[in-house]
This record gives sequence, structure tokens and C-alpha cells, in this order.
Amino acid sequence: MVAVNEISKCYGTLVAVDRVSFVLGRGEVFGLLGPNGAGKSTIIRMMTTLTAPDAGTCSINGLDVIREASRVKEIIGVVPQENNLDRELSARENLDIYARLHQVGDRETAVARALAEVDLSHRADDLARRFSGGMKRRLLIARALLASPEVIFLDEPSIGLDPQIRRQLWEIIRRARIDGKTVLLTTHYIEEAEALCDRVGILAKGRLIAVGSVDELKHTVGDYVTEYIGPDGRLVQHTVHSREEAHALAQTVDNGEVTVRRSNLEDVFIKLTGERIE
Amino acid sequence: MRPLSRNLAGSFTWYPVYLREMLLFKRKLLKVGYVFSAMVTPIIYLLVFGYGLGRSVRMSGTDYLSFLIPGLVAMSSMNNSYSWVASALNLNRIYFKTFQVLVQAPIPPSSIMLGEVLAGMTKGLFASSLIILVGLVSPAHFHISPFFATALLLNCFMFASLGVITGMLAKSHEDTSTYNNFIIMPMSFFSGTFFPVDTMPAPLRAIINIMPLTHTNILIRAQGFDGRTILALAVMAAYGLIFFAIGSRLIRGYSE
Repeated sequence: MVAVNEISKCYGTLVAVDRVSFVLGRGEVFGLLGPNGAGKSTIIRMMTTLTAPDAGTCSINGLDVIREASRVKEIIGVVPQENNLDRELSARENLDIYARLHQVGDRETAVARALAEVDLSHRADDLARRFSGGMKRRLLIARALLASPEVIFLDEPSIGLDPQIRRQLWEIIRRARIDGKTVLLTTHYIEEAEALCDRVGILAKGRLIAVGSVDELKHTVGDYVTEYIGPDGRLVQHTVHSREEAHALAQTVDNGEVTVRRSNLEDVFIKLTGERIE
Repeated sequence: MRPLSRNLAGSFTWYPVYLREMLLFKRKLLKVGYVFSAMVTPIIYLLVFGYGLGRSVRMSGTDYLSFLIPGLVAMSSMNNSYSWVASALNLNRIYFKTFQVLVQAPIPPSSIMLGEVLAGMTKGLFASSLIILVGLVSPAHFHISPFFATALLLNCFMFASLGVITGMLAKSHEDTSTYNNFIIMPMSFFSGTFFPVDTMPAPLRAIINIMPLTHTNILIRAQGFDGRTILALAVMAAYGLIFFAIGSRLIRGYSE
């Protein structure tokens, strides 16, 4: 179980994370959804021992992230937002060094298996700098999974990737979940959160403003949306709780085309924050 | 309880850090430019001061070339041990973010420190071995004594450890050059590489005697055990241990 309790982090006068709390169950995929600068990466850095929180606590499978950092590092795998592979080392060397750092037994087999899992066996001896963006991401994921971590952190795993590679990554994450791993990922892609996460936490300006399953969150703000172009040329959206309510609302609009549809996470985000996620 | 194999592996947790640096170093060595850049400055000094100016100068009772070569070995080992560690660590921390992989691994901060320092020492020894080779084939009276070997190893240890401190403290890659200009450059010229410190005015000599490289130059040229040699050895060991402890502490306290 992962438990985050009232963690905060400030950089000068900027409050990057403001008293955030949430709990993850074993085998759960949890997504932190929010725009750039919402504090997602800072939360991941605090949970993975890279950044010391100013206040609050965080524990992973009962181990305190600050006081028992070394033991926490044994059970987590991290896919950072930036590519932090050694560019001048091959894929195999990158994984071999990581396996040694994490004292993985039978390194050769573990590395070969990790490369096969992300379909990079044929490029094992190529330097990482020669890889495409998608291949680098897959290698980062293979590295994070190499030491069989119990909890995996993925910071914006599919940022900048084309849709096909993104779906390949989703498959890898789904397989990790089937293997019983607990997964925490950050994203600002609505469809990624909807496709992968059992529960989602919505972050805005460092604060966690809502947590729940996608359906729960949608239900909270309304399952249906009525939308139309207003007199000033701007899109007007109303979230309501039933189809009937949505259609009744549509009847009241005098002119122009009115759409009634089911709500999605983006509607939830807009309703809760007043902002559109970019 | 951890299995025995993991406990044994745990004793060498510095090794992956060192191995990583060596793999990267091997790639650099394959580029001709690296070997050339490591050698060019001391070779220029050797040619200009040793063979040019040095033909008409005697220093500390010996010909200038014999005086100069140990000093150049000390300077070269300092520059390479220090610069490669400081620069690589700073880039890996701020730009490439590969340092985070080490910090997030379940190994003690002192293992990261030891791996980085041993890698810096290896690079320093490699660069100085090229100067030593030149020294051995030159007409200078040059041989590798136990004092020479001890001074060289301690010098590499001391400056690789200082390199970690700079790499951890510098806020940008440009900052490492500032540290270089204020710490390394003055030592290169004032610490007895090119001329004996005794010839300097007393107030300046007091400052020079604080510089770690001054003590390397004393030990590397030592012919036997005396008070100066023992003091130089003690000062170098103390500097090395202090720098190592500070570097380990900075890694332990690392937070983004």
C-alpha cells in the first residue's frame, strides 16, 4: 500500500505541492491528472526519495520514504519524465548497470527478458542515443521493471509519443498491473487516464481537488453534458446528472446546434478547476 | 533476511558506479580527440618550459627538465581527476539527469562517492601515465619512487573527491569553470609545479602552503623520509579524507 499524508513542497514563494493526501491499494493503477505545473512531478519526486518534502509523510508498503529511503528504493521502479538513459551506453549496458545497482540476481537473463518485454532485443547493443523517442521510453520502462519492483512510478510516460507507440506503452503498463504491480502515473492526457487508471486524482495548482474512479468523478459533476455555441461565439457547456435533464436543457436553447453527450474526465476537470487541461 | 550472494554484492555497491564511468570513459578513449586533449597542455608546458626555457636553467640543484616532469605529472593528475569528475557529475546531475538513477538506487551515498572518486582517479592516472611515459623516454633524471607513486595516488584521490564537491555544488555547467578558475588554475602555477615555492615572498608562501597541490609537489619529488615529506603526506591524507567526507555528505543530502 502507498500512503501519502499531507505532503507539501515549496520552492521559494511558489507552493508546488500543497497538503496532498491519497492512498493506493496493492495492484491499483492510480493516475495524477493535471496541467503542466500542477505539481505532479514534484509529488513523484517526493515519493521516490529524490525530493525531501517540506511537510507531511509518505510511506510505501509500510516503509517511510525519508527514514527508510534505502529499503524504499529496493521496492520501487521509476520512469522519469526526462530521458535519463546514458546516451553513450548501449541498451544492454544501461540495463546491466541498473541491474548491478539494484543487485538483481542472474543479470544476463533478467536484462535479456526486460529487453524482450519491450521489444528491443534486436537493438540491445545499439547506443541509446541512436534510439527514437518511443524506443527510449520503452527502454526506460524496461529499466524500471528490471528489478521486479512492487510499486512503479511513471511520470508522463507517453509525453511526445505518437498514438501507436503510446498504445504500446499502455499495454506494457496493463501487463505490469496484471503482474500485481502497483502503478502511479502522472499524465495530462485525459484519454490516458481514462484508459489506464482504476482511480484518478485531479491536481490543480499543487492541490488535490478530487479523487475517485473515472465513473465516480464523472458522476460527481454530472454524467451528461449539453453544449452549444453561445451568442458571444464561445462554447457553453452544462454538466447535468441525467440524459433527460440534458435534453430538457437543450430544448431551452433558442438557436444553433446543441449537442448532448456523456461527460468525460476533461469535463470533470473543467467543472472542478474552471480551466481546460492543456 | 537477504541471501548471502546479495550481502556479498552489497560490499561492492560502489562497483556499478565505477563500471558505468569506465564504460563511458572507454567510449571517450576511442575518440582520438580525448587522448590529445588530456595530453596537450602538459606537453606544451614540457616543450616550452622544459626544452625551451629549461635548457638554460637549473632548479633545486638539478636540471630544469628533471624538476619539471614530476610537477607536470602532479598538475596533469590534478586537472584530469578533478575536471572529469566535476564536469561529468554536474552535467549528469543538472542536464542528463543520470545522477538521479544512482541516487534512486538502493546503495549507500558513500558507495556513489567511492565509485565516482575511483573513476576520477583512474582518469587522472591515465592522463598522468602519458606524461610519465614522456618523462621516461626524455633525457631527464626521472624515475618512479614509492614517494612518487604515493603522491600520485593521493593527489588523484584528493582532487577526484574535490571534483565531486564541485559537481554537487555548481548550479550550472558554467559554474564549474568558475570553480576551476578560482581553485585549480592558481594551484597549477603557484604550488611548485614550475618553480620551487621557497622563492616566493613569505606572505604569498603562507597561502601557497595551504594549497593541496603544494604538498603533492613536495611528496612527488621527495628523495627520502624527512619532516617535510611526512607533513606533506599527512596534509594530503587529511585533505583527501575531508573532501571525501564532504562529498559523501553532499550526496547523502541531495534533494531536488
